[in-house]
Amino acid sequence: MRVVIGEDLFLLRDGLVRLLEAHGFEIAAAVGTAPELLAALTELRPDVSIVDVRMPPSHTDDGLRVAIEARRRVPGLPVLVLSQYVEQLYAAELLADRAGGVGYLLKDRVFSDAAFAGAVRDVAAGGTVLDPEVVARLMARRARSGPLAGLTPREREVLALMAEGRSNAAIAARLFIAEKSVAKHAAGIFARLGLALSDDDNRRVLAVLAYLNA
Amino acid sequence: MTTSGNLLARFLRGLRANWPALLLPLIAGGALGLTASTWPELVIVLVLILVVVAPRESARIAPYALFGYGGYGLYLMHSLLIREANSVTYGFVHASWRPVFAGDGSWYVAQSGDNRWVLVQAVACLAVGVWLLARPESLGGGPVRRAVAQLRGTGGQPKTVPPLLLIATLFLWEELFDQDLWFGTPWQSGVTPMMLVAVLIAAAGVAAVLWLPRAAAVLAVAGTVLLGLIGVLSGVQWITHPAMPPVGPWSGFTVGFYGVVPLDSGITGAFAGLEGVALAVAGCLLAPRLLTWSADFELAERAQALARRVDGLTRSRSDATETAVAELRRIERDLHDGAQARLVAVGMSLRAVEQLIGTNPEAALALVAEARETSSRALADLRDLVRGIYPPVLADRGLAEAVRNLAMDTLIDVEVKVDLPGEPAMPVAAAVYFALAEALTNAARHAGARTVEVSVEHLGGMLRATVTDDGRGGADASRGTGLLGVERRLATFDGILAVSSPAGGPTIIAIEVPCALSSVKISSC
Repeated sequence: MRVVIGEDLFLLRDGLVRLLEAHGFEIAAAVGTAPELLAALTELRPDVSIVDVRMPPSHTDDGLRVAIEARRRVPGLPVLVLSQYVEQLYAAELLADRAGGVGYLLKDRVFSDAAFAGAVRDVAAGGTVLDPEVVARLMARRARSGPLAGLTPREREVLALMAEGRSNAAIAARLFIAEKSVAKHAAGIFARLGLALSDDDNRRVLAVLAYLNA
Repeated sequence: MTTSGNLLARFLRGLRANWPALLLPLIAGGALGLTASTWPELVIVLVLILVVVAPRESARIAPYALFGYGGYGLYLMHSLLIREANSVTYGFVHASWRPVFAGDGSWYVAQSGDNRWVLVQAVACLAVGVWLLARPESLGGGPVRRAVAQLRGTGGQPKTVPPLLLIATLFLWEELFDQDLWFGTPWQSGVTPMMLVAVLIAAAGVAAVLWLPRAAAVLAVAGTVLLGLIGVLSGVQWITHPAMPPVGPWSGFTVGFYGVVPLDSGITGAFAGLEGVALAVAGCLLAPRLLTWSADFELAERAQALARRVDGLTRSRSDATETAVAELRRIERDLHDGAQARLVAVGMSLRAVEQLIGTNPEAALALVAEARETSSRALADLRDLVRGIYPPVLADRGLAEAVRNLAMDTLIDVEVKVDLPGEPAMPVAAAVYFALAEALTNAARHAGARTVEVSVEHLGGMLRATVTDDGRGGADASRGTGLLGVERRLATFDGILAVSSPAGGPTIIAIEVPCALSSVKISSC
């Protein structure tokens, strides 16, 4: 699986390269500035990319803008955005095209390298992976109003874990329930949110989007 | 007995505090002497009762009664000079110091031939009235106190001497040209054309003072000096030709006085000379100051404005310094108790790992996992800290986007309307951001609101933001420290915060900061 890495701090870039290589990824390019990253993303069309939000030249949200621009040019290009902070505004912008293949994680999630590599693969497969911090804040807010108000607490828990990009098996393990029950809750969520039966992965993305647009 | 004693004590106390009230019966007595009432004593008794019943109100009226009576005295004096009436009754003091009682119960205190006491008493009444009002503790004396302060030029305030001098000069000039034109004779000869001219000239004088202060000051100086010279000439002429009428532009008229000094007897020519010398000297002495008066006026106004500004800046600077120090203290504490402590723990874990790795690899592994976890927490602490110092979205995207992100982070529904053609300076943006954050937190936590509306706009050099919620209201900016801190922070930029929160809602928090917007949306950092 070919990966492009956009990270301006050499230590982190190097660390990411080694981590991903250790997990069997092939590094197509590892760049340190936003223009280089945009070129790499649009020309190399990697299977997945890891992008830092704050990058040169302006050292603000250049990385995020490049990720959005690259996905505009190459719809559905899988991008996992990393940042020292997670902001709901940025999450909403990343998910706005509803195409899936998007991740948004805090940088320290890299510490648990197996989970991180899993998240990279999920994004590459078209899934949506949101940092638990974003999800927690979304939950706190959306539980009060909007279409999600009708969900049971358990369904909300399941939806939250779904938004974090976890599979049914992982959710079952986390909540100490059977995988079958997770599937049942998921079906309940989809029904409540009026999501038609289609590709399960896409429905998961849409359910997460329901959070953000609620 | 105790009650009546208390009453008496209270009455005496009230009287001592409101002693000007005692002047009222005196004025009434004086005025009654004039009106020749059949029952003056009855009216005096009525006024006394008023003083006893309402000493405070009486004390309040007293200065104005003095003004009225003094003004009437001036008017009387003036008409006396022009009409040469024989006798008037005014005030209490007579040259012989003996009141004269009339057969019908009224009493006279001034007699024909010595009407100058009218002037003295009228001026005394006016002076006492002004003094009463100018006392710091007097009621309703604010305008008079201000006028007196201006006249004295205290506190760097502009002086009103030139305009007063100009009006006096105009008055004297008009007197010189026609003794019948002032308000002495209308009831005898009707409105004369000269009266109209006099009123016009007076109005022109006032207008000049108001709109052409420099010209007014020049006229005042020139008029004073000229009047002085004419007076001096009168005096000289009186010495050289005592039998001749006074010289000057009015010599063809039957002028009986110079200014307000009667000239009908020979000796008063000397007064004209003395007064002339005094006026000429005063005019020459005052000239340099008067001629720069309008500039002084502007300077004084500017100085006052600057002084107020300096006061405000001193206050807001000390507030800002205090806030900054408190903020640094908080950051230091947070670092000390949070990230710093966690990094110490990481270091200790790693040190233990060094020792254990050979003997007990499993325990070492667990410690490494713990260290990793702790470093994650340290990062979380640092994240929170940075958010409180300068929020990342604000740094990345500017105020508008930061407010939108803030709305998304708020637990209740927030409608955001931001209309900013540019970006305010970073410190202003941060102050406004934290103000809105505080307002939104309050709305979500305390107001029990369901929805909030945030609007931010820039109009006429002012950044205006309002946060309106549909909660229960009753918020008090002075109660919580949050809004107070916001207010202080805004004050550093001359910004203000206003809270309107009637019980039952809605609560509206409005902030306004003067600032310019730059077209650059994002500043690099």
